[in-house]
Amino acid sequence: MSRWSVKPPIERIRNGYRINLADEERELVRRLLAELQALLVGSSDNPALKRIFPAAYHLAEHAEQDAEYQRLMREELVASRLSAILTVNEAFDAKPPLSESQILALMQSLNGLRLVIGTMLDVSEEEDLSEVDDDAPDAGEHHLYGFLSWLLEWTVRALDPQADV
Amino acid sequence: MAPAPSPVELDEPRSDESVVPDRPWVVIVWNDPINLMSYVTFVLQKLFGYSREKATELMLDVHHKGRAVVSSGSREKSELDVFRLHENGLWATMQQDD
Repeated sequence: MSRWSVKPPIERIRNGYRINLADEERELVRRLLAELQALLVGSSDNPALKRIFPAAYHLAEHAEQDAEYQRLMREELVASRLSAILTVNEAFDAKPPLSESQILALMQSLNGLRLVIGTMLDVSEEEDLSEVDDDAPDAGEHHLYGFLSWLLEWTVRALDPQADV
Repeated sequence: MAPAPSPVELDEPRSDESVVPDRPWVVIVWNDPINLMSYVTFVLQKLFGYSREKATELMLDVHHKGRAVVSSGSREKSELDVFRLHENGLWATMQQDD
């Protein structure tokens, strides 16, 4: 049996969407998003943010163009992610039906969390929650990553009901 | 291996030679171990208006071949596409078409 909610955590309803997360799950997501927010406004050299701010120009001959892109766009990327986090916190406080843009902000933010935690854990494509060694020092992070994957999958499914997931 | 430096080259103007003005740019999405397949498919539909079939095909190319070209055009348009992909956490870069 799942240790998380039994109902779909994110559900499409008649006029929009509903979040069915338990209070402690919402609090967990809020707390993680607050940590992501602190990371985003902190040092930009943090290796955990590698996948949040990837290079735009990957060829060595375009290093100058990439520096320019980073100079102009990094702030925009931070602003976009901070605005999505704010939207998610508002959505958690709001009564359903929630709007598509609120659920898209949730999707973007959950994915941001997975990028950071996945980078820190150096996950592989075969990352499998059932194989997490509960005695390992990073078992908690692996479970968090699994929880976020589960929640993101349901978020995509709610936004895209024909998705083959 | 890098070729031996040629003294002749140093006398030639080098500004902007890495960007050829007339060649279109392509935006590439690379395979990564973190992004979910369903998520990548959904983002490609949402950002580019691709059909489910087209988005799925691109996602599978990324997954199996390691990369796929998801859009092309001017440098400005490609930068915007890369930005929107980065906003959504996809590993996207751009280069001039070969």
